[in-house]
Amino acid sequence: MSGRRVAAITRRLLQQFHRDRRTLALLFGAPLIILGLLGYLLRGGGDVPVMGVVNLDAGPLGAAIASQLERTKTVSASTMSEAAAESKLRSGDLAGYVLLQSDFSARAQQSRVISPQIHLEGSQPGLSQTIVQAVNESFAALVGQAGGVRFAPQVMFVYGGPSFDTLDYFGAAFIGLVVFFLVFVITIVAFLRERGQGTLERLMASPLRRGEIVLGYMLGFTVLALVQAVEVLAFCLLVLHVHNAGNVGLIFVLEGLMAIAAVNLGIFLSMFARTEFQAVQFIPLVILPQVLLSGIIFPISTEPGPLTVLSRALPLTYAVEGMRNIMIKGADLSWSSLQLDFGVVLGFCVLVIIAGILTLRRRIA
Amino acid sequence: MAGETYAVEVDRVVKRFGSLRALDGATLRIRRGEVYGLLGPNGAGKTTLIRALVGLVVPDGGTVTVLGRPARNLDVLARVGYMTQQAALYPDLSAEENVAFFAAIHGAHHGVREALEFVELWDRRGSVVSSLSGGMRTRCSLACVLAHKPDLLLLDEPTVGVDPLLRVQLWNRFQRMAADGTSILVSSHVMDEAERCDRLGLIRFGRLLAEGTVPELKGKAGVDRLEDAFLKLSEAGAE
Repeated sequence: MSGRRVAAITRRLLQQFHRDRRTLALLFGAPLIILGLLGYLLRGGGDVPVMGVVNLDAGPLGAAIASQLERTKTVSASTMSEAAAESKLRSGDLAGYVLLQSDFSARAQQSRVISPQIHLEGSQPGLSQTIVQAVNESFAALVGQAGGVRFAPQVMFVYGGPSFDTLDYFGAAFIGLVVFFLVFVITIVAFLRERGQGTLERLMASPLRRGEIVLGYMLGFTVLALVQAVEVLAFCLLVLHVHNAGNVGLIFVLEGLMAIAAVNLGIFLSMFARTEFQAVQFIPLVILPQVLLSGIIFPISTEPGPLTVLSRALPLTYAVEGMRNIMIKGADLSWSSLQLDFGVVLGFCVLVIIAGILTLRRRIA
Repeated sequence: MAGETYAVEVDRVVKRFGSLRALDGATLRIRRGEVYGLLGPNGAGKTTLIRALVGLVVPDGGTVTVLGRPARNLDVLARVGYMTQQAALYPDLSAEENVAFFAAIHGAHHGVREALEFVELWDRRGSVVSSLSGGMRTRCSLACVLAHKPDLLLLDEPTVGVDPLLRVQLWNRFQRMAADGTSILVSSHVMDEAERCDRLGLIRFGRLLAEGTVPELKGKAGVDRLEDAFLKLSEAGAE
């Protein structure tokens, strides 16, 4: 083994990187951006789950528990009427509420069992868990004082249910994400390959219109993407048994829209990369921040304020929300929230198609 | 468009890339049905000029007319065959699939077999391009611009890396096509190839230094060899 020859390879590699400023920026900049974002998400003082306390108890125990919950820092609890709590729960303004019945204190004294009703919105297991835990802790403090009292809450869900688990929650989002991500990567690399092998120049010197090139690409990849979407959906529903309360056709349409958006985003972004190597660099820059901010992992309602604004500007947020609306809540197109989700994803598709067509020419020069 | 005298008219075309003037007032005319050789060293502006003819390069000044219409006209491009310097093909498609694709985007539904037979690749039509030799790829690339039977062929250094036998075959084919009425522009920096052209344009520094038949150019320079004529006319043009 020759140290000189090895050193020659090492030196050549560093020289190449020295000239590729973009790769260097990605290598040293992207980790800071991604980790910074993650840090801000987790420690940025985001909002805690919002819950209601409906205290109908005539006795002293209800008031004590309500006051205990309002002091808790893990949730943001406030007292309200049962009608208001139910309405806010349905609209998604509350992650849950606890109902203390009129005979709550009396039953606790007689049967030595505390059984409040916990109503959960249920579509986000993380938030539900925090609320149950907060209620549990506030009761534990009181049970500790009373001694010998058993805590047996009745938990009710608007969406999902006791068997609704983390996979059900993430599965709905991932069905769309997997298709979006893979189709994006394949398109951007294929389009760059078209340029690298010189065939794009031939296409541009032919009577093809720019729109025809983009549309042809879009249809070709969309066919593949839709087959992939069927496969992903079937696997999730039939093999993994991911919870689905909605219309399978609607899920497929939303998946299809995401695939079309991914194809055209790939075509558009290929303009900003010169090589397939540079194209792959778009993954951490474009995909990862969207994964962190689109509500797939961290609910947008609990994000720090400024990040919420950013999340609301990302199309993937609406796609993920749409998937969860359909699969977890059983939403159909009569729901205004789902109309918004479809509208934004569709609008994004149109936007990237136009951007792809308009910028195609610059890629040859 | 039978009334067109010239297949290509380039008039005082200027194209700058930053501080570099790739085309610096280039002017030339290609008659219908002739093989016109664009002769010049590497970096002379040959490829930029050809790309301007198909609208891939937008000139900063001057005019480009192709088959009687301004360049980058889609109807005109349907009648043009542009063979790039690199054999730009889809490596994972067969030779026949490549030719059929380029024919289709030019609006042709027939002519694939004829084009592949013309370049003697019909027997290898089912082979994927990545398995073909360099010379075969060049021939396949040529077939891709022939299937739609263009009125104007633009061939950017089509014989680079091609063995001498194949080169002779290709030139015989170009001349047969020209005899059938196709106008052909071939760029090259190989002098012996240039001798096969009906007329030549000597290009350097983005300018046409001289234009004419081989005997005319030799006569203009007062030398017997085309290579010497090119050197002499280049020196005169640089002054």
